[in-house]
Amino acid sequence: MNRRKAIGGILALTGIGIATYTGFNLFYVKSRKGQLHDYKNLVSALVDVIIPATETPGAKQANVQDFVINYMESCSSVKEYNNFFDGLIDLQETCISTYGSNFEKCTLQQQVAIVKDLDSTYEGSGLFSKIRNKISGRPFYTILKALTVEGYCTSELGATQHLVYEPIPARYKAITTIQPNQKAWATK
Amino acid sequence: MKNQTETNTFDAIVVGSGISGGWAAKELTEGGLKTLVLERGGKVEHVTGYTTAFLNPWDFKNRKHLTNKELEERPVQSSHCNAADKHFYVNDKEHPYIQVDPFKWIRGYQVGGRSLTWGRQSYRLSDLDFEANKKDGYGVDWPIRYADLAQWYDYVEDYVGISGSSESIAHLPDGIFLPPIPLNAIEQHLKQKVKEHYSDRVIINGRVANLTQPKKGRGPCMYRNLCSRGCPFAGYFSSNSATLIDAQETGNLTLRANSIVKEVLYDAKTKRAIGIKIIDAISKEEQTFYAKLIFLNASAIATAAILLNSVSPSFPNGLGNSSQQVGHNLMDHIVNEGTYGTFDGLLDKYYEGRSPGTIYIPRFQNINKQTQNPDFVRGYGIQGKGERENWESKATQGFGASLKAQLQTPGKWTISLGGRGEVLPNYENKISLDTQNLDQWGLPLVKVHFKYGDNELAMMEHMTKSSEEILTKAGFKNVGSYRTSPPPGSAVHEMGTARMGNDPKTSVLNKYNQMHDVKNVFITDGSCMTSSACQNPSLTYMALTVRACRYAIDQLKSNQI
Repeated sequence: MNRRKAIGGILALTGIGIATYTGFNLFYVKSRKGQLHDYKNLVSALVDVIIPATETPGAKQANVQDFVINYMESCSSVKEYNNFFDGLIDLQETCISTYGSNFEKCTLQQQVAIVKDLDSTYEGSGLFSKIRNKISGRPFYTILKALTVEGYCTSELGATQHLVYEPIPARYKAITTIQPNQKAWATK
Repeated sequence: MKNQTETNTFDAIVVGSGISGGWAAKELTEGGLKTLVLERGGKVEHVTGYTTAFLNPWDFKNRKHLTNKELEERPVQSSHCNAADKHFYVNDKEHPYIQVDPFKWIRGYQVGGRSLTWGRQSYRLSDLDFEANKKDGYGVDWPIRYADLAQWYDYVEDYVGISGSSESIAHLPDGIFLPPIPLNAIEQHLKQKVKEHYSDRVIINGRVANLTQPKKGRGPCMYRNLCSRGCPFAGYFSSNSATLIDAQETGNLTLRANSIVKEVLYDAKTKRAIGIKIIDAISKEEQTFYAKLIFLNASAIATAAILLNSVSPSFPNGLGNSSQQVGHNLMDHIVNEGTYGTFDGLLDKYYEGRSPGTIYIPRFQNINKQTQNPDFVRGYGIQGKGERENWESKATQGFGASLKAQLQTPGKWTISLGGRGEVLPNYENKISLDTQNLDQWGLPLVKVHFKYGDNELAMMEHMTKSSEEILTKAGFKNVGSYRTSPPPGSAVHEMGTARMGNDPKTSVLNKYNQMHDVKNVFITDGSCMTSSACQNPSLTYMALTVRACRYAIDQLKSNQI
């Protein structure tokens, strides 16, 4: 995982590199779509580490894995699909070489350690990552985290239990005073 | 045969059922005319036709995202729609057009047209706008002034239901308003700061066609902010929820969906249009309908295309096109991608319900000597919205329980501002027909030629800079703008392709939206606009439509047409 990232990163550091890398992507990236349904257990375990059950349900119980897989299969670009798919494979390789077991079978502590390592590579909104993402698509963990957050906050359990969801407000109070432990609205 | 002709003959035909066509249908049927409304798209019944209106976020398999297949079908429309309202936007593959220059032609082919998905912003034009062409020499003079339209603005606003505040701004006249949608805490803050820092600009409540009180059995708004799915509460104005229902109730309305207009038929002897030839969108069979009066309300580009396709020995270049202006002077509003800022205070304030409204900064450039701008003529308004960040916009750290906690709490206050600027009439910006490339109904494809001029580009630069300055002065942090402009057409305010004017040699329509060349054809969609002003235009189309209908009915009754 780090090797592949490093190569992309080094190439992206030089203008020529970017052009070459992009050209390569444009002409040689093949779609490998259709395979993620086989990785549902892994995706379920991952989203549940990113958003675990606390006093409110976790991502797995909220079926966030279904949204992540549906989105990647039906809506994502080929580049991002490949980044995501390669990320999953690399993750499993890392788990097996480090802990001798695939991610789903790792202990919670091991899972958290793995995700912590991934999270340290997370790139939010820096200019460099924005340019890179435009060229090569978002990297694996950035996609995973964004879809987990979206999937959870728009799930029935996430929107109605972790956040506050009002399908028909029937009023607009433009200025209210925030209450202790005020939860955020689920929708805009 | 006699029966056939009888069922095909009406007093009036209206082409299009969008925001202006709906009004023509209402006014003509209420005026006692047996009226046929032709709509090229399918039926959308009020309430039952809004199939996604009650769906929750989790009811959509991919949430709001379009699938790759849907994106492929909608390369143009996809920037303006999502999974919840895509069915109100055309499939670009089925309805192609040719972009000689990049131009987004956003369309809704269904009963109600784009009145289902419109932005609902409703502002009057003023004499600053109606006199602009005459004063600076771009385009031709409008044949009307504000006084000609004021009573029709009143009439339309009273029926539609516009929420807004009276502000006594001469160049943005007040109207008949329902109570405004109030400003939230950050919007109030911005309003106050603008007042402190500027003498030439002000923040007002956006004027929107959302009902803050019930109106004629419609509404009130439920503050769901899901308007573009169609509103089962009729909380905002659309043809489907209002004008078409009233037209139906007169007993004078015949609505024919799936009817693509091929051409307007012209009789050289009487110098009148005699009817409309359509192609049934499904059976692809042609059919002709006859009427004494014809209103074209197909939207600016489509109406011009119909005229250009209506050729006869009298009008070899298209019906009513002796001026050679049909299809030309295409305008939109120039918009920027927007300016954003975050605010560190007011964290004890929030809101309940979801506002479908905005704030608005009325035009503040080139109003008078003091506000004269050396870089461009005319001006722009700025729309904006304040809200607290939520999971969609919040920058979060880490994962696990701490991430959950961050998602659960309301984030910082933010404001986004977006300018809407006037585009000058330019003969070179135009639509034409490509007779070599036909659609599946055998009709020539529309070609769009459109380029911004220096005036528009200077204005865009100014709207971005002034938006940044306003937010910075008001104490916002992280102020920034996307320094790009979406392609022309993105404002979905295309207009000007059959302009009004006093001189038949340089304009297509007279001061009553009546064709100079063909007295029983009226055009009251965006085509008629002599200049674009910078205000959202639908309210003006509606007022012009009512005014033209009243005139046409009088003319018809006194045998003038």
